[in-house]
Amino acid sequence: MEQLVRVAKLLREEHDFRGYIHLKTIPDADPALIAEAGRYADRLSVNIELPTEASLQTLAPEKQIVSIKQAMQTIYTGEQTVFNEPRAPRFAPAGQSTQMIVGADDTDDSTILHGAEALYGNFKLRRVYYSAFSPIPNSPKSVPLAAPPLMREHRLYQADFLLRSYGFSARELFAGPGHLALDIDPKLAWALEHREVFPLDLNRAEPTLIARIPGIGLRTTQRLVDLRRERKIRFEDLARMRCVLAKAKPFFITSDYHPQQADSTSVLLREQLRDRPQPQQMGLWG
Amino acid sequence: MISLECDNLFSTWREQARWLLSHQVDPSQVSWGEAQAADLFATDEPIPPGPGPFQARIPKALLELLESAACYHGDQRWSLLYEVLWRVSHGDRTAMLAGDKLGSELQRRIKQVSREAHHLHAFVRFIALPAEAGPELPEYVAWHEPAHDILKSASQHFVGRMGRHRWMIATPLDGVYYDGEQLIHQRRCPEAWQQLAQNVEDPHSAMWLTYYSHIFNPARLNPKVMEGHLPSRFWKNLPEGKLIPGLISEARTGKQKDGQAKLVGAKPGKRIANPVNVGAGLPAIAVDQSDVG
Repeated sequence: MEQLVRVAKLLREEHDFRGYIHLKTIPDADPALIAEAGRYADRLSVNIELPTEASLQTLAPEKQIVSIKQAMQTIYTGEQTVFNEPRAPRFAPAGQSTQMIVGADDTDDSTILHGAEALYGNFKLRRVYYSAFSPIPNSPKSVPLAAPPLMREHRLYQADFLLRSYGFSARELFAGPGHLALDIDPKLAWALEHREVFPLDLNRAEPTLIARIPGIGLRTTQRLVDLRRERKIRFEDLARMRCVLAKAKPFFITSDYHPQQADSTSVLLREQLRDRPQPQQMGLWG
Repeated sequence: MISLECDNLFSTWREQARWLLSHQVDPSQVSWGEAQAADLFATDEPIPPGPGPFQARIPKALLELLESAACYHGDQRWSLLYEVLWRVSHGDRTAMLAGDKLGSELQRRIKQVSREAHHLHAFVRFIALPAEAGPELPEYVAWHEPAHDILKSASQHFVGRMGRHRWMIATPLDGVYYDGEQLIHQRRCPEAWQQLAQNVEDPHSAMWLTYYSHIFNPARLNPKVMEGHLPSRFWKNLPEGKLIPGLISEARTGKQKDGQAKLVGAKPGKRIANPVNVGAGLPAIAVDQSDVG
């Protein structure tokens, strides 16, 4: 850790490097070293490695959740110390992040995202990165020897965005324990469970609710709000914006459009809107 | 029909547009073209000298949008901007918004331009010239082929990055040179710069290629996303570009089940003993630490 900090210091002070430095700290690093690292790095991170304490004990027993969270707390305290103090020395201005391996054991998505939500709340992390477990040759039999669950990773990132930027809470996404659906994205899944909210009138609805329409992101929401200040929003405006119209169509109303699918059941809508896997050519020899 | 030529300079276009607007010249009555390829319908209509009576008021934000969209190489590069300007100055602000037909094209161009600026920041590879090259030559040179006119504005980024080093970026069109104090932009890149940037030999390229092929994780290969982040038109100017097709086909022919490059997998490596289970003779654990964060 001392050597890492020295590298960052040399880059900054001797080589005048002014670009981005992301420094990974180890859990048991001396807080004084973390404080020093924060002066040179833009972002600091300490990897949480696995979603739960139990998985850590089984798969990475030399690491402890307590010391990982202590390191996160040290970084968070460092950020708080310089917060709103323009003349204080800089401390990791791009904040802290962490990374966890997904799919190395049987932890479910609900546990993972509730855990991420706690990290965002407790340590004001900027990002949690999810990395699908991919076995390397000669891995032990205790880990799954399968292709990495990339689709699951993708859905976790989508749900993570909903937590960080769209005002969703993990409780809204999961009724109980379980996984995110793989065939529909988490926002569509939420909308199908909450049909009473929709369809929303794009000319009147609150921006935070517009952003909850499947297929309409934060950027499109802002564009709609800008446009409706000038004139009424029409259906064809949506087609020109970068949104996924097929997904959004059942869930909004404009001055010239009312969805035919407003009365379809959620089961039927799901069947129409789910992602279908690409057809695969079958192997000639079975 | 009025046919104009602005030499692809925003400042010139801006003067012309201001003058056209003051005379209330409708967008359908004006076109901009290359000097050689004059408009088929161009006429020598008498052009009234001096500003006209119409006083246009436009939001300041519009000027920034127009300047950014002006960097875009494409059809109606300048007349599209005049049409937007015309509509906004006549009270129709939707012309600058993405919901409008014209506005969405304007916003699309702006997006392409900022994406191209990002490509410059991401894919310029400075190569150090030998120290004995002397103070007349830059210390670092790079060759880049941007799709739009972003070099002048986007290369400011490197002024902050490179400190007081002298560096140069040459492109097929224009070039920039930072002499340690100021950034010099040449609209026509001098041939000497182009020669220098295209022919310099990188002494460290072998090390970089080894590093690149070792950190490649075949299990995570996603060619479509990669093509989005690193369009193949840049491959030919990146040293690792030659490796990419080989790595992809290696992953497709079986390596994709492994989270490790072939060359790394062939090395013996070392095992970490599990402190809890050492006595019990249980297998050691290896956790893949492929890095995304």
